[in-house]
Amino acid sequence: MRPTSRAAVLAATFVLIFSVAACGSNDPGAGASGAATGSPPAPGGSPAGSDGASPAGDISGELRVWGMGNEGALLGALADAFETEYPDVTVNVTPVDWGQAVAKLQTAIGGGETPDVSQMGTDMMGQFIETGALEPVPSSVDPSVYFESAWNTGVVDGTAYAVPWYVETRLLYYRTDIAEAAGITAAPTNWDELKAAATAMQEQGGAEWGISLGTKNWQEYMPFVWSNGGAVMNDAGEFALNSPEAIEALTYYDSFFEEGLSPTAVPEGFDITPAFVTGTHPMFVSGPWHLGLVAEAGGADIEGNWAIALHPGKDGAPGTSFLGGSNFVVFTDSPNKDAAWAWAEFVSRPESQILWYEEATVLPAVQAAWDDPALGDDENLALFGEQLSSTSTQPAIPTWSEIASSLNDQLERVTAGDASPEDGAQAMQDAASGIGTGR
Amino acid sequence: MAGSGRAVKRPAAGAGVAAIEPTPAFAGGVRATASDRGGAQRNLVGWLFALPFVLIFTIFLAGPIVAALVLSFTDFGLRDLRNPLGTDFIGLDNYVELFGDATFWQSLFNTAYFVVVGVPLTLTVGLAAAVALDRGIDRFRTAFRVGYYLPVVTSIVAIAVVWRYVLNPDVGLVNMALGAVGIDGPNWLANPTLAMPAIIAMGVWRNLGFAMVVFLAGLQTIPRSLYEAAAIDGAGRWQSFRHITLPMLRPTILFMVVITTIGYLQLFEEPFVMTDGGPLDRTLSVSMYMYRQGFEFFHQGYAAAIAYVLFLLVAIVAFVQFRLLKPQA
Repeated sequence: MRPTSRAAVLAATFVLIFSVAACGSNDPGAGASGAATGSPPAPGGSPAGSDGASPAGDISGELRVWGMGNEGALLGALADAFETEYPDVTVNVTPVDWGQAVAKLQTAIGGGETPDVSQMGTDMMGQFIETGALEPVPSSVDPSVYFESAWNTGVVDGTAYAVPWYVETRLLYYRTDIAEAAGITAAPTNWDELKAAATAMQEQGGAEWGISLGTKNWQEYMPFVWSNGGAVMNDAGEFALNSPEAIEALTYYDSFFEEGLSPTAVPEGFDITPAFVTGTHPMFVSGPWHLGLVAEAGGADIEGNWAIALHPGKDGAPGTSFLGGSNFVVFTDSPNKDAAWAWAEFVSRPESQILWYEEATVLPAVQAAWDDPALGDDENLALFGEQLSSTSTQPAIPTWSEIASSLNDQLERVTAGDASPEDGAQAMQDAASGIGTGR
Repeated sequence: MAGSGRAVKRPAAGAGVAAIEPTPAFAGGVRATASDRGGAQRNLVGWLFALPFVLIFTIFLAGPIVAALVLSFTDFGLRDLRNPLGTDFIGLDNYVELFGDATFWQSLFNTAYFVVVGVPLTLTVGLAAAVALDRGIDRFRTAFRVGYYLPVVTSIVAIAVVWRYVLNPDVGLVNMALGAVGIDGPNWLANPTLAMPAIIAMGVWRNLGFAMVVFLAGLQTIPRSLYEAAAIDGAGRWQSFRHITLPMLRPTILFMVVITTIGYLQLFEEPFVMTDGGPLDRTLSVSMYMYRQGFEFFHQGYAAAIAYVLFLLVAIVAFVQFRLLKPQA
């Protein structure tokens, strides 16, 4: 471990942030902010309708875009399309590794060296809105174009700071052959059926386990709370993690571990795909990326022997599933906000969303894009589209990563049998209340 | 582990000292020709030579160390990112909060556990390997030496991949070996009681090579005549080890105890790559907790306070060790 050098780097980072930021904030923004804050161009109220040609006139210059992970690597295709539409703009894409995304963005903000536009994970929104480095979305952008949960990931106190780009949600993957062997012919739609299916698959279907559920993953747990009418925070803005609905959901979630239907000790770096293909774990909950992973890992052996289903609700499908994905944000220090908002409008057009789906296989955040046959004709994708209207996600508060960490810790205690669901829910509530919303 | 970073640097530093040793002669030569130009100029030349180091030390070490101390008295967070000088000074609040932070105490306990078990184990195994290579094993000596030292210079990421396989509950080497003798091996890294022992095993494996190399060097400074004299007096192998090797090796052992303890107190990489501090925070070290607070939750003021508490702890422990192990004159 190079702890001393790590400590030094840490300390050096502080100093760099201090010194560079000091220069940055005194810098009058190279005369750019004046033009930019004044009048962002209309980014096309309805992405469906506007062809973007009209405001293209005075949009020019360089547009620096940061993209994360795989998306960052593939973003060139979208950038080319944008440059065709706005020939005076040069798009420079910088791919950023997901693992370093938060740190890089923090450093960029601290150093006053932000790009114009960046992709940003929906779960990163709260903390970056808090920095004050993000520009509010102009009122000309119509929120109803996007899935509601996706839009809300970027909203704080009624002000939106992000434009949804793509989304993902989680469905139930299950082995139809094992289900049939266990006498189950239809996908489970409610809690009782899910429990019954897991039990039957383990007892009669020959599977080692009934279902794989996260032992320390709030994203797998909270959908059960949401489906039961609970929430992270109630309408009054107070944490509600120990509400009767939450306790009931946690009790239900924990019962899978209590009854030996789900493994409690999951090795670090456990990969569900091979376990699903071999049939030891005949059910799991995951996003669209597993469609490809399962098909690829299973090949012909498993073809036709698995399916996906809407997230089971308490009384019927669809329940409320988790929504994730990425937004685009524009930075207040950007010298080229006109082009930045033009970019946000451009990527929200249904045809851009479809182009991006074909490029990166991620799901459109714009509802109209789902009418396209490329998505609508695929049975599995259509299910994801149906689930997207019934989703929820984390609140956009700056302390979320910290709260999420304690939710995971408490969930781990409960599923390991170290705490009762009541105590676990109370501990979640206490931890979240102690951390607060950061406001 | 800390040992490793140092491991690579220490011998190099030693070599550096050795190389510089002859400079008095060189300096003398300079002095002879420049003596009439006065001491001030000589001073200037000296500073000029030292300048790169002084600059780097000031900018990258002294400055940040002071800045971090200041930071630890503030509530520096996300809101202050764009205007760092606007952060609020909150006095000792971070330290007070730390005192009542159960997770911090847990991390402190875990770190102590790692040190108390890990340091003696690393040094014992390292010493055993060194003695074996010095005495017993003649064939393939170089191969063994390289083999033991290799983990010290191997990337932690590669090590993590291999060790995850080794400790895998179903197909791992450890559990296959246990299975061969009829024991159903546990899920090491996911078991709250066994995760830290597994991390310790990995730490020992990773750092014993450095201990071995230092002990080997120490062993070679012990005059053979002592052993011969003891043998004539009828001392056995164990007696020679107990009454010659250990006392003669005392300075080396002191050095290794201090260096390894300082390194192990700052445990970070092993749990970071293997368990992320879990399960149930049982492998969360103080350094990891500092990283989590500073860069995941962005409570940089709080993280700086943790860093200073850790620094104080390391200083105290090292001081006590020097006191206890100093050769009595």
